[in-house]
Parts: sequence; structure tokens; C-alpha cells
Amino acid sequence: MIHDMIAIFQDYWLLLLIGQYPNGPLGGLANTLILSALSIALAFPVSILMALARISKWRLLRWPVTVLVYVTRGVPLLMLILWSYFLVPLVTGADVPSFVTMLTTLVIYQGAFLSEVVRAGIVSLGHGQMDAAKALGHSYLGAMRYIILPQALYNMIPSILSTFVSTIKDTTLGYVINVPDLTFAASQVNNQLLTQPFQVFLILAIIYYAICWSITFLANRLERRITRKRAGLGGGRAAEALAMPAKIASEQL
Amino acid sequence: MTGTASPQDPTAIRISNVSKTYGTYQVLKEIDAEVARGEVVVVCGPSGSGKSTLIRTINRLEEINSGSILFDGQNIHAPMKTSALNQLRSRIGFVFQSFNLFPHLSVVENVSMSPIRVKGVPAHKAHDKALLLLDRVGLADKAFSYPGQLSGGQQQRVAIARALAMEPPVMLFDEPTSALDPEMVGEVLAVMKSLAAEGMTMLCVTHEMGFARDVADRIWFIDAGRILEMATPEEFFSNPKHPRAQRFLADLRH
Repeated sequence: MIHDMIAIFQDYWLLLLIGQYPNGPLGGLANTLILSALSIALAFPVSILMALARISKWRLLRWPVTVLVYVTRGVPLLMLILWSYFLVPLVTGADVPSFVTMLTTLVIYQGAFLSEVVRAGIVSLGHGQMDAAKALGHSYLGAMRYIILPQALYNMIPSILSTFVSTIKDTTLGYVINVPDLTFAASQVNNQLLTQPFQVFLILAIIYYAICWSITFLANRLERRITRKRAGLGGGRAAEALAMPAKIASEQL
Repeated sequence: MTGTASPQDPTAIRISNVSKTYGTYQVLKEIDAEVARGEVVVVCGPSGSGKSTLIRTINRLEEINSGSILFDGQNIHAPMKTSALNQLRSRIGFVFQSFNLFPHLSVVENVSMSPIRVKGVPAHKAHDKALLLLDRVGLADKAFSYPGQLSGGQQQRVAIARALAMEPPVMLFDEPTSALDPEMVGEVLAVMKSLAAEGMTMLCVTHEMGFARDVADRIWFIDAGRILEMATPEEFFSNPKHPRAQRFLADLRH
């Protein structure tokens, strides 16, 4: 069993790593990582904008985004992917590459989920911080940028991380619209071997686990660093912060 | 930092006919009052009387339903661009009951950040100024601590330094010692007393009657949304005129 997996890995590692490239489109793990990184990098700022729109006093901003969030939350991701894949070319007549379709859908979907996390972080801070910022003469956006968001995002690191990890896992759904990612490559391997699906998909699972775990690990370190900084390096409280497990570790793994 | 509109005007804050309702409940009823430049006014009264609401309307953290509040000759409740409102607010210092320090910033950053971001003061100048102000409130050694490491009294002194960093001509205090342990009240009041001694215009909502007696030029007694009595501390404590104020003082003595 282990030998089978090592053999599969030795024979197909390049396909799993970069897909058909350079003879075909870039695929495999490389494409999964690129798709994940782009989705997260775009969904995160989008989610902050959506959260600000959701708590805005202007209805023109608040209502459309609220509708978008509710619709997105109420529809399976797979359905959204199929819609974008079949409807966008029909409506616009443009030939959109499946990678772009997948990326856009993921950004909107995860952006909507993340925006609720960010909004909760902002709301849970209470009025005191915004009052203090206003009283000192800060503009609304200045207060958000320098006072509210740094705290809200820090408090929400576990939930934000959770969404990042699920974004990475959701890239696998690109399989249904032929995005040449890691899952697609594994399925090609499986189609060639035919007799070893368990081994092939176990390799796939291990790789995804390793990626998601590293993200958790990194966020965990980041959170500890901030906690230590805020407790002031050295002194009793810093020691306390070090002894206390970061909240991510227990919640995510 | 004197007013642009009328620097000669002896009135720092003029509250005219201010009313405010929450739904059907009227919190402030046709309030008329003035704070002169350099004057220290203590606002007292039973809880729920509208003291905090009144002081929060002065820098427009609360909106009012009618009337006007003039600060340096400008009505802070007039329709205006938010940038104009921010500019006015930056010149009114405000100290909260619950301190509201920024927990993600060190003490010196708490004090220097607003001059940098709001007034465009160069960072090194704001930093030096912040250290001076921290020294003045007796916390120079805590400059690089974080708010979470300080006691309540220390946090409130940082909050006062943070407000002073904007060089406001007027300081408002909203029950600055009510959230403190009794042994920490004194250190905050000492800072406020030294400010008053330097001629700062101050409006303080507080239950510290000792402070009112020693420092205030005038006391406003407020109940059920109305200012019932305006008097000097001597008059107010020895010979309160309004029956409600007499009852309030009698209750305090128990």
C-alpha cells in the first residue's frame, strides 16, 4: 500500500505538481496554489469593502450587498460555479476561461462569507472605540483604517483563517468545470491506473491536508506574535501569553 | 489654538435651547447654558438625569432635536461637511468614563497617533510631544507599555494625555473617575486639578463633590433633562435653592 503510493508518486509527481505544463495549461498543485492564493488575496479586501457597505448608513450601499450576502449564503457553491460557467458566456458572449470563472465565483462566495466575519468583528468592538476616534477628530474611514479594523481583524483571526482554509478546499470544485488543478491531475492519474483509486486519492488528501495545516500553523504564529507584542515583551503577562495556547490551535485542528 | 471665528468672545461653549428625545422620552429639555473661557464647570445630578447625554451633544457624539451649541462661534449641530465636523471635534478634548484607549497601540502611540493622522504633525514631533504629555500626567515610564498592562487610573491619565495632544482649547470629561477603584480616583483628579490651575476651559460630569467644591467655578445641577440650578460651589453646597438639589445633597451625605 505504502509502496504503491510511493510508486505512484514517483511516476506521476510532475503531473501532480504542474499538470500538462509546458505541453498544456499549467495545472496540478501549482495551479491549486495559484488559484487559492489569488482567491484569498482578492476575497479578503473584497470582504472588508462588503462589510463596510453592510454597516453603512447609506441604503444604496447597504441593500445590494446585503442581498448579495444572503443569496450567496443560501445557494451551494457548486450551483454558483455552474451558473457562472454556463450563464456568463451565454449572456456576455465572451469565452471566459474556466480558471477565471472559478476565481471570480470563489472571490464572491468567500468574500460574502468573510464579510460577515469582518462585520461581526467590527460590531463586537462596541461603540467606545469609534466614539473615541470621532472625538479626536478622525474621519470615519481613518478611524476604520487605523483603529477599528486592526482590532476587529485581529479578534477574528480564527474565523478568518477558517474561511481561508475552506477557500483552499473549495478550489477542488473547479474539477466540475475542468479547471486543471490538483484534484483534476489526481483524477487523470486515477484514470490511467484504474486499479488504485484509494492510493491516488489518499495522496490527494495528504497534500491538501499539508497545505491547510501550514496555513493554520502560520496564522497561529502570527496571532501569538501579536498577542505577545500587545502584552509587552518581557514581564509577567508576556509569559502568560506564551503559556496560553493560541486560540487557533484548539479551534482549527 | 484660539478660535478662528471670534477669539475675543469670552464664551467658549454656548448651549441654546437644546432639546433631545429618544423616541418619546425627552432626555434634554430646552437647555440654556454657557461656559466661559477658562471656566471650570462641574455638571452633577442623579443618574439618568441627562448629564452624559448633554456633554456628548457638545462634540456631537449625540445628535440633538432642536437648539444649537456654539463652540468658538460655530454651531456644531449645523448641517456641515463631515470634514468640517471632524475639524471642530479635533479641537474639543473628550475623556470617557471607560477610557476607550486603543488597545492595539502602545501608550505613546495612543497619544501621538491623532496629531499625526488628523493634524498632520510630523511623527517625530508628535512622539516627543506625547512623551512630554505622558511625563506631565506622571506616566513617562509607561510610554512603551500597552493599555492592557495599566491600571484603570493610569489608563485614564493616558486618555487625558491623548486628548491634550490635540491641543484643544476646551476639555470635556464624562464621569472620568466613575469606572475607577477608589484608590485610583485621586491620581486622575490631581491631573484634572492641575489642568484647571493652568486655565483650561473644562466641563466635567462627575460625582466627585470634593473636586467640585475645590476646583469648580460653577456647578450645574441637572435633573430630568433640565438644569435646575447654576451656582458657585459655595452657594450650591451651603445653600442649594432648588428642593431637588437639596434632596440630592442630603442623599450624598448619607
